[in-house]
Amino acid sequence: MTLHSVILVAGILFITGFLGVLLRRNTLIVLMSVELMLNAVNLAFVGFSRYNNTMDGAVFVFFIITVAAAEVAVGLAILVALFRRRQTVMLDTINQLKD
Amino acid sequence: MNLEVFKVFAESNIWSALWVEIALVLLALGLLVLELVLPANAKRTIPSVAIAGQIILLVLASIQLIQMPDDCSGMYFSQMILQTPQSAIMRIFFLLGGIFVSYLGTVYLARRELPKMEFFHIVLVVTAAFMILVQSHHFVVFFVALETLTIGFYVLVAYCRTSSASLEAGLKFLILGGFSSAMLLFGIVLLYGVAGNPLLPGYSTDSMNFSNLATFITQNPTNPLVLGGAVLVLVGMAFKIGVVPFQIWVPDVYQGAPTPVTAFLAVCSKAAGFIVIINLLNGPFLGLSDVFIPLLAVVAGLTILFGNIAPLSQRNVKRVMGLSGVAHAGYLLAGVVAILCGSAIAHGAIIFYLFTYLLGSFAVFAVMAHVSQKEDEIQEIDHYENFAKHNPFLALALVCGLGSLAGIPPLAGFIGKLILFIAIFKAGLYTLLGIAILGVVISIYYYFGWIREAFFHIYAIGERGTTDDREQLVDVLKPTPMHALAIGVLVTGILVLGFYQGGLIDRLFYML
Repeated sequence: MTLHSVILVAGILFITGFLGVLLRRNTLIVLMSVELMLNAVNLAFVGFSRYNNTMDGAVFVFFIITVAAAEVAVGLAILVALFRRRQTVMLDTINQLKD
Repeated sequence: MNLEVFKVFAESNIWSALWVEIALVLLALGLLVLELVLPANAKRTIPSVAIAGQIILLVLASIQLIQMPDDCSGMYFSQMILQTPQSAIMRIFFLLGGIFVSYLGTVYLARRELPKMEFFHIVLVVTAAFMILVQSHHFVVFFVALETLTIGFYVLVAYCRTSSASLEAGLKFLILGGFSSAMLLFGIVLLYGVAGNPLLPGYSTDSMNFSNLATFITQNPTNPLVLGGAVLVLVGMAFKIGVVPFQIWVPDVYQGAPTPVTAFLAVCSKAAGFIVIINLLNGPFLGLSDVFIPLLAVVAGLTILFGNIAPLSQRNVKRVMGLSGVAHAGYLLAGVVAILCGSAIAHGAIIFYLFTYLLGSFAVFAVMAHVSQKEDEIQEIDHYENFAKHNPFLALALVCGLGSLAGIPPLAGFIGKLILFIAIFKAGLYTLLGIAILGVVISIYYYFGWIREAFFHIYAIGERGTTDDREQLVDVLKPTPMHALAIGVLVTGILVLGFYQGGLIDRLFYML
């Protein structure tokens, strides 16, 4: 396992998540894609942390996990409240606000 | 285990340096306690406690700023916190913002069946996070402060949970906010990884520290990972401040969010974003200025044009405020380019502009909060018909606020724009200055269209009736004496800063 392979996997995961946010229309899958991007960052942090032999990156991962959990908690709460009013989670139909 | 290391670390943890932030969070926690222990009929004093606490902190922080020695920069918490005159000034800015948002919150919540205390609690926590963010000197603190305020904003934007517009705005903000945070983080990880690489010159074992990063980047300005990381960090910040091409979320979120939250996003969030961008570009990314100056100049020009052309066809005033906020972000970004080009006064000019923007925006948002109906997202320009006749005081605030935002002399916004444009001129950015002046001219059209609707009778043909003394279309909340005082302070601020700046600007230039 070299640094390059770790960063390559992280990059592929990040781009998968990136495309998922841009292309998918189901809000749950979009939220999952955002999580995938954050986890790609975690993987890259761990890889660099090991390669550079400093602990900062490994510690940063815990902050990212915490923040991601808080973000999902708020996100799912908003989504449930919205689903109760609209009976849908598809982004195409959540378009009350527009020009 | 070597305990000496911990002792060295602990010696730089001077908690008193963060007394304003700690006091704000304690106040926020105190509100939670008050909600539990107070009897039901005394709970309406909670907003007053929040506002009074912030005013006391504002007075104390101002006294500290006035008495501050000239050379007062200091690093605390193992170089994670950097305090400069700028961070002391921005504390005042965010406290003012927090006070006015709390005041708008009382106006907004008076008409609605919503939980009251939580709003003030989150506003206080977010205000403290803003202050930490502008003092951060390390990517860990930077990220934690940024996410604290961003997640607070997700809750605030979706605060009106009975309104599907507010929830929809919250969801859109959450998805794009999470997306931009992920890009920001990927930029941070690239910078961390490359700046800690022992094979490269200038590497450091604490590579997320801004000073170490600056040293590294000046020695490796052409490394692709450095460039990629820096660009991703800036893209993440560009999302937060809403500059072209990352402004897509701005109109929808501003329209759906409750009016006080729209004001908070427009003023404080934008200000914090700009201070962070200045800190980054003037600190760690200074070695990359050659790349960023043309890039940011193009972005600033496009932002000014978009922000001034897009509101022309809008009838919803919240969207107008959101889109014109994009234009103000463009002017400020042009100022940031001027800093990078070596203009000595640009930094002070940006801070002064932010203060005038705060006064003007809050005056307008205060009027909007009073006009806002049950459906907060529907605030049309038509609601302001015959407005001046029935609400002369609010109409005065509206004129001062909009005039200041448009930059009409003798209001504060004019002086702010003048100094900023002088800074841009001195930096030699003539094309950008031309675009900015063109943008100001266009902006007068939509700002004054709003004023015309409020002040002049428009002869409507057909269904609306043509009698001169018809009633106003919407029911405007009359300002209570306290609300009138807050609006009075804003209007006075706009007029006083317009006529007389005293030594304020000199002092600002001197300190920064």
